[in-house]
Amino acid sequence: MNTALVRLVRAELTLMTREPLTLTFVFIFPVVTMLIIGGAFGTKPDVAFDWVNPSHWYVASYLTVVIAATGLIMVPVHLASYRERGVLRRFAAAGFPRWSFAVAQLVTGLAAVATASAVLLAVAALTYGLPTVHHPAQTVIGFVLGALAFVSIGVLLGTVLPSARSAQAVGLVLFFPSFLLGAGGPPPYAMGPALRTVAGYLPLTRVTDAVRDSWLGVGTATGSLLVVAALAVAATALAVRRAGL
Amino acid sequence: MSETDVVTVRGLRKSYGARAVVDGLDLDVKAGEIVGLVGANGAGKTTTVECVQGLRRPDAGTLRVLSFDPVAQPERVRALVGSQLQSSALPDRLRVGEAVRLFGGRNGDELLEQFGLAERRRSAFASLSGGERQRLFLVLALVNGPRLVILDELTQGLDPAARRNVWAAVDQLRADGTAVLLVTHELDEAERLCDRVVAMRAGRVLDAGPPRDLVARHGGAVRICFTLPADMMSRLGPDQLEALPGVDDVSYQAGALTIRGGRAAIAHVGAALVSAGWVPPDLSVQMPSLEDALVGLLERAGTGPARDTTTEHELIGAFR
Repeated sequence: MNTALVRLVRAELTLMTREPLTLTFVFIFPVVTMLIIGGAFGTKPDVAFDWVNPSHWYVASYLTVVIAATGLIMVPVHLASYRERGVLRRFAAAGFPRWSFAVAQLVTGLAAVATASAVLLAVAALTYGLPTVHHPAQTVIGFVLGALAFVSIGVLLGTVLPSARSAQAVGLVLFFPSFLLGAGGPPPYAMGPALRTVAGYLPLTRVTDAVRDSWLGVGTATGSLLVVAALAVAATALAVRRAGL
Repeated sequence: MSETDVVTVRGLRKSYGARAVVDGLDLDVKAGEIVGLVGANGAGKTTTVECVQGLRRPDAGTLRVLSFDPVAQPERVRALVGSQLQSSALPDRLRVGEAVRLFGGRNGDELLEQFGLAERRRSAFASLSGGERQRLFLVLALVNGPRLVILDELTQGLDPAARRNVWAAVDQLRADGTAVLLVTHELDEAERLCDRVVAMRAGRVLDAGPPRDLVARHGGAVRICFTLPADMMSRLGPDQLEALPGVDDVSYQAGALTIRGGRAAIAHVGAALVSAGWVPPDLSVQMPSLEDALVGLLERAGTGPARDTTTEHELIGAFR
């Protein structure tokens, strides 16, 4: 493996642990909101939650909040900040291949998703307990493809947006509606028809459906899995093209 | 291209929109040579070095850096080039020691020690002062033992002691056979360090050569100034001084004499003063500097078109 790439990935992983925005949005925010929302509706199976324990319904849903926070906030802000300040130019001049930075961001983003998800699951296990995984393969595939799609979207945004501030603004505008309507907010059953329609078009909703439905064994996750797979392919292809891989 | 040719640029052109930033530039840098690119802001210096590094794609022209084409083989070129770029940065939370390992794959202890950063090894980039950042960029430029070093605004933000330390390091690079391409506005720095200076304006070479030659061609006259008591006028008056070899012009105003001329005038005026028994307490000699030469050159160029590039190429070759 390219030694420059290994050094770059190692440095980026180290820097990720020192970045307050990452720690706040990717590691702390999903856990705190899961603890609040997951405890708000009790543990009694309810029609609004496909007749599963609401806490478990949210535990399964919040994995994708981690994915969205990484892809819509952490990666684009980080990358746009590097472009704005001439860090990428500095790396390019030092002989780091152009593609190595996009690969490093991809690896770092996926590592952030994996680590923050592990933290979230550990907290969930201690508080609400972990629900049984009904379709493990589908759940993992949905999770991995969703993470790949959103981290690629993050790389794409980071290479398009001109500054860290604009990336943060766009990221937050994309993140919160996705979070509220597609993963961590009220269940679709509690939404009006208009909101439910909007939610149905959000990429994060499809990732959440793919992961949560496979995990809890509710509904049919196949359609959402196919959408997430298509999203992953399209987003990765665009990110690869944009990053000059 | 001979073995000692490190950079060879012919007919380089680069435009941003309708504005030609580099317009038919020729440039040569040999192993163990320090070449300075000087000129006003917007002269095309930084764009030129970015093309040499393969960071920008030229519109026309040929470039060879250590036998590689920076357009077709940018990564081969960058592996052999160390650079300290104008307006670039490192991640805020990256520590000094981590940056050196990241860029060089090794600790770089000696370089950190040499540039006074050993104590800051665990400090984050964001906490470094401007001078410390500049020194860190130099360490990163040198950590891989490059064959060509590109330094853009080398000593910007450095205190005088650090500046001398950096100059000594650049001298050492030359002694080791490393080629250096130095982009600078600090003309005393160019005069002190460079074997050759290339003066640019509007993307073209105005003149090139060793600093001393540029000063001789464009720097103007030596100025010798002193006061002369009235009783000495009969022996050292303007008429007598003007007759001395090397003296071009003498002016006398309110007891103060100003003599302009070539370097030879210094010796002849000095000898005349001593033989007349008068050693002026306020005697001063102002030698023209590279700054005088460049200001004169750029002022003259500002009133007319930059010279034809074919001629410039011959000019560069003539001073090698």
